[in-house]
Amino acid sequence: MITIKNAALRKVLKIIIPFLLVPLALAIGIFVLEEKSYTFISIAVSILALVLFISGFEKKKTGTRRLVIVAVMTALSVVGRFIPLFKPITALTVITAVYIGGEAGFLVGAMSALVSNFWFGQGPWTPFQMFAWGMIGLIGGLLSKYLKKSHALLIIYGVFSGIVYSFVMDLWAVLWHNDVLTAEIYIAALVTAIPYTVIYSVSNMIFFALLAKPFGEKLERVKLKYGV
Amino acid sequence: MEILKIEDLSFSYPLCEKKALKNISFTVERGDFVTVCGATGSGKSTLMRMLKKELIPLGELTGKVYYKGKDLDTLSEKETTCSIGFVAQRPEEQIVTDKVWHELAFGLENMGLPKDVIRRRVSEMTCYFGIEDWFEKSVNELSGGQKQLLNLASVMVMQPDILILDEPTAQLDPIAASDFIATLSKLNRDLSLTVVITEHRLEDVIPAGNKLLAMENGEIVKYGETRSAISALYGNKTLIEGMPAAVRIFNNFEINTPCPLTVREGRDFIEKNFSNEIRSADKKEQKNEKKDAVLEFSDVYFRYERDLPDILRGLDFTVYENEIFCILGGNGSGKSTSLSAAAGINKPYSGNIKVFGKKIKDYKNGDLYKNCLSLLPQDVQTVFLKNTVKEELADVNMDTSDLPYDLSELNERHPYDISGGQQQLLALAKVLSTKPKLLLLDEPTKGLDAYAKKSIMDVLKKLRALGMTIVCVTHDVEFAADCADRCAMFFRGEITSCSSPKEFFSGNSFYTTAANRMTRGYYGGVTTVADAVEIMKKNGAATK
Amino acid sequence: MKAFDGYNPIAVFIYYAAVVSVGMFCMNPWIIGFSLVGALVTFFIRNKLSGAKSHLFFLLMFAVMVIINPLFNHNGVTVLLVINDNPITLEAIIYGIASGAMIIGIIYWFRSFSQIMTSDKLLYLLGSISPKFALILSMTLRYIPLFEKQTQKVVHAQQALGLYRDDDFLSKIRGGIRVFSVMVTWVLENGVITSDSMTARGYGITKRTHFSIFKFRRHDIILTVTTVILFAVMLPTLITGAINFEYYPKIVGEETTVFSVLAYISYGILAFLPTITEAEEKIRWKYLKSKI
Repeated sequence: MITIKNAALRKVLKIIIPFLLVPLALAIGIFVLEEKSYTFISIAVSILALVLFISGFEKKKTGTRRLVIVAVMTALSVVGRFIPLFKPITALTVITAVYIGGEAGFLVGAMSALVSNFWFGQGPWTPFQMFAWGMIGLIGGLLSKYLKKSHALLIIYGVFSGIVYSFVMDLWAVLWHNDVLTAEIYIAALVTAIPYTVIYSVSNMIFFALLAKPFGEKLERVKLKYGV
Repeated sequence: MEILKIEDLSFSYPLCEKKALKNISFTVERGDFVTVCGATGSGKSTLMRMLKKELIPLGELTGKVYYKGKDLDTLSEKETTCSIGFVAQRPEEQIVTDKVWHELAFGLENMGLPKDVIRRRVSEMTCYFGIEDWFEKSVNELSGGQKQLLNLASVMVMQPDILILDEPTAQLDPIAASDFIATLSKLNRDLSLTVVITEHRLEDVIPAGNKLLAMENGEIVKYGETRSAISALYGNKTLIEGMPAAVRIFNNFEINTPCPLTVREGRDFIEKNFSNEIRSADKKEQKNEKKDAVLEFSDVYFRYERDLPDILRGLDFTVYENEIFCILGGNGSGKSTSLSAAAGINKPYSGNIKVFGKKIKDYKNGDLYKNCLSLLPQDVQTVFLKNTVKEELADVNMDTSDLPYDLSELNERHPYDISGGQQQLLALAKVLSTKPKLLLLDEPTKGLDAYAKKSIMDVLKKLRALGMTIVCVTHDVEFAADCADRCAMFFRGEITSCSSPKEFFSGNSFYTTAANRMTRGYYGGVTTVADAVEIMKKNGAATK
Repeated sequence: MKAFDGYNPIAVFIYYAAVVSVGMFCMNPWIIGFSLVGALVTFFIRNKLSGAKSHLFFLLMFAVMVIINPLFNHNGVTVLLVINDNPITLEAIIYGIASGAMIIGIIYWFRSFSQIMTSDKLLYLLGSISPKFALILSMTLRYIPLFEKQTQKVVHAQQALGLYRDDDFLSKIRGGIRVFSVMVTWVLENGVITSDSMTARGYGITKRTHFSIFKFRRHDIILTVTTVILFAVMLPTLITGAINFEYYPKIVGEETTVFSVLAYISYGILAFLPTITEAEEKIRWKYLKSKI
């Protein structure tokens, strides 16, 4: 089993990978390497995501209930597709992150991406989706203090992260297809995705406005009652 | 050998003044099969958790538990986990992984055992339980009874000395439940495995066990060899209420013989002590006045998908106004499907269903669910979504003053924190909010203890008195015998017989109440314990 | 049983890693061609001609990629025509075809990969890296059908309460959200039972081992060794760029050498390994049957 034993190292990795190394890899790929940028970016991000993922696992003993909550929320985000227009992954990832913690949020996001692709199809995009959704959870966890306080902020974060997610995935799609990034193609890709992005944002907004609070309360209760 | 010794154990939950367990002391010998009985809230589930160290809930605990003479606290986690196995009530939620073989291996993986040891133990257990056929299956392909057997098997692979079971058959149908108890008996006999089990449905368990522990309000009322313990409970109404029919009959008389436990012993008891000069209770059958039909099925066929077999095959029956109509029958015979067809959820591909004389198809805009009919699902947790009972009731604008029972004590509690019987009543309240005239119930007594069952029966009788018509699908023959106006036998998608409970249960020889089986051929027309007692009293002592 | 279904997941994974990684990052027409045809043949052997709709979708996707590239990418020296001051170049068209073929090839590799790598195999694979991760995944996969069944029950219960209707779009959403709320409560409250069941069976008290029913057999060794050898033959050319191929500004391929030919042959064999195994197995069974 691969685990990172050193707690301090784990903590450092959890911060520097998403906020420093990944953006750095993207920047190098796009601006420094003129060609083969896709090859470089995809390998670099995949490896970094894997390391980040592994550092997400702490060898905590009280983790059983947390583990169950992660599995449960992941399964829900796959099952929740039955509501029209509603893509629950972002929403459940953010809610878990805010109420249970960034680590749990990261796992729910990343796992949901992996598991839902059993239905939508696995592909080279899987690690990127795992990374993107995992990040939404991780950042949500870091901001949880503010997001818990202000409902408006929570809605903004939810909707915004949905939009950023589709921007990032478009960027990836363009890179894969073209190997080098041109602004024109990227903009074209974004434009074609507008109707989708709008629907997605609106449904996210409705979801967060209506359900973030009650769902959060449900999580809080379980946390209290069972000492998660 | 003394395997378990509990010494002056007391426990109270946080923020709770009342102690859940008070000064509990008892010992269990190796190879004992101890049945723990008591009403809901008597503390028996809490006691079970005290015996499984890993599952002791938060709260204040005093006293000691010794395993093989050693304090449970001093033993290593590995030792206690393996030696003391635990199986809980709900089969579905206890399963952790997605494949049967993985579930069997789960505990051994946790112990960090090498692969080949796991392989050997898993294959051994698979053979012992005779479940090779499922080995590679996904767990969601199994039935409820199979799932509970899997839970048992995956505890048994850890080779425990004691098995603690907390109402393991509450969610199973009667046949799966007695299979499960039979398996426990076999383990107890073959391996001298010590079993400590709580149950509400004691008909099968009590004869299987050799000891009985009766609890009330967190205290032990009686502990000892089953028959003598039961005899000592003579006159204790709440505890006797949940006992097998033979015990309940015995408790109505003051006869100085050992208490009968099974149907066979009950029959012996009756024949030995009572004559049968008066053979049947001369009771007037209620006259069948001509009443209006409320629910009519005529030649209904239904299947879930085109290439699946029919579930309902030419189903024909009529339910009349203001009666309680019970549908009984085996698992998978289509009972529940017929209920959801009546509620307009499953749409038959042929035949007609009429509700209050109007075809279901002709109800538009959800009119079917307004002041018309309502369905209480089998799993009542499917209707709860709020944080308190009060909010749940407000969610459907239920005016509690209309209810024939009182829920106000529970107002601030969470719907998942109240007992099974209370959940049932809360869900019923939500269902009644649409002011239905026809109430459809799917197994309303599943998993309930005798007391909760009785309160449900009382509520249903009150609702009937208010003019409601009730159709009820159930496995519970005792329940049907007690409160139905008519019973129907469901078999392979149709109704094969239908009559008043008296005729119905006298006509069946296997699928009938214990009281009826006990008196068959000796007395006529006995269906409930009360019937039997009445006729026995009339007859008086045997002349022989 | 189709080819590769009976192989050890590790062997299968190594094979796919090799064939996909080369196919994905090397834009050489030979490699793209082998990858695409190999992927398609592997997929069609497994599925015959079923699922025409999905094939049509990917065909369409291919067409879009071929058309879009020259419209937006104006690199290249051979201008064929000019639309709105924007040159359409031959190089861009060819690049569009090549990258489209590459992407479709990879997608089909992944499609057959997901069919072979069923959830229990994937768990086995992950279990050897991180048992904890494998456990979460296993639990999730166990929960999904359970939750789907429960969702159906909740829908029916709410329907009979008159609180869920699906006659129009809005009420479908409203009802859906209601059902989802019930589900969230249900899964969270009952999740505790699962975690108790895990604790009762000693989860977390010591380092977990990972049990599986898969063995590494002789044919797995053969497959793995073959894969590694073929990959090793290609490796020098991949590193030195001996089979690189330039599309812009002008289409230029590296000179053909013994090494590059060897690399093409190796990748060709690699891409058709599933097909070869399938054929070999068929022949063997025929032979065994004829002996009886």
